[in-house]
Amino acid sequence: MVTGDNMGKVKNPFVDALKNIAERQDIGSFKKIFDYFGPRLKSFLMKSGADEAIAEEIIQETMTIIWTKADYYDSSVASPSTWIYTIARNKKIDILRKTRKAILEDIDTAILPPLESKADENIEHDQKFEMIAKYLDDLPKDQLDLLKMNFFEEKSHGEIAEITKIPLGTVKSRIRLALEKIRGKLEQDGNMVNLISSNESMVN
Amino acid sequence: MTFEILSTPVDSAASLLFQRCLAEVDHENRLLNSAMNEVGGYFLNKTDEISLSNNLWDKVLDQAKNVKSHSIIDEEYDPLLDHLPVTLKSHLKINKVKWKSFKDVKVASILPKENNEKLELIHVMPGAKIPQHTHEGNESFLVLHGSYSDEYGSYKQGSVQVRSDDHNHTPVGHAQTGCIGLAYTHGKIKFSGKFGKLLNLIAN
Repeated sequence: MVTGDNMGKVKNPFVDALKNIAERQDIGSFKKIFDYFGPRLKSFLMKSGADEAIAEEIIQETMTIIWTKADYYDSSVASPSTWIYTIARNKKIDILRKTRKAILEDIDTAILPPLESKADENIEHDQKFEMIAKYLDDLPKDQLDLLKMNFFEEKSHGEIAEITKIPLGTVKSRIRLALEKIRGKLEQDGNMVNLISSNESMVN
Repeated sequence: MTFEILSTPVDSAASLLFQRCLAEVDHENRLLNSAMNEVGGYFLNKTDEISLSNNLWDKVLDQAKNVKSHSIIDEEYDPLLDHLPVTLKSHLKINKVKWKSFKDVKVASILPKENNEKLELIHVMPGAKIPQHTHEGNESFLVLHGSYSDEYGSYKQGSVQVRSDDHNHTPVGHAQTGCIGLAYTHGKIKFSGKFGKLLNLIAN
């Protein structure tokens, strides 16, 4: 079993697992992702308001998306946990609001439009995401808690201000500052520029 | 403003779709959005685990084996789609929308109305003027393509304007490009000019 400690030091094993699913529908890799992320997703979903039955329903839907759309995953754009988190978050909104099913399946695929493969550069990209994790690891706990409440427990700025008794303006500026730092780290990578220009040619 | 919108947890399909489109049409927003997802992914890795029901893996495997990855590629060509973010584009390829025409302005509902929330695509023809109106509730308008101007300024692609019910304006589409935008409304739009009463009847 993979532990949190060796996640950053070796090449992220889930990058390969997703690749194996995309290329040869490898059930062993699928099970590996399920075993690691399933219980964590359940924790995320229940912390952000889902009950147990709904949390498992969302996990099931999320896993199905991972199985069918693994070829959309691009290791130069996001880490595996980020990709999986984003899918689960979208699925949660879909299921909680019981809107038409087709809607968010399409959004999932659109999160990260497929790019040409950059598999040989994975190690470098891992370093980028490792840098982000390191930055977050080093943040003072009270600042990290603000980010956790906002993006993991899905609380609004107002709710966070109420809970922490920190003025709303300060909550916003602290979250913004941390995000700007992370954005800067993401931007350091040349591939992000490729993604943007391919996106740009589409909207222009 | 975009930071506030992007970092506000969403709870409906309409707000999610709006947020995704906002993240897509602007480079900076795209990076900011990736940064937020990375934060979510970081916490997903760090969070405690909650054990899953014993039969969940069997259910997941069962569902994964029975689902066919549907292709979102549709050969039918609509030049309007070229101007839209990927998220919206793939949504529209699956869910056909009906346009309502009001002279030089076309409006299409993107999602079924839910809890007084509306998400609409607005296409203002080049040089077309929308009669003076206020907004009932709040409207966030994201410019996806082209630009428009009103009594207060002009707004280009990627910008968002948030308007409440006391805001009265007369938007005009750019003379060459016109304007395509996404309007996320809580409440009905209210026309207040000369033909206001009649337009209110038609629009609502």
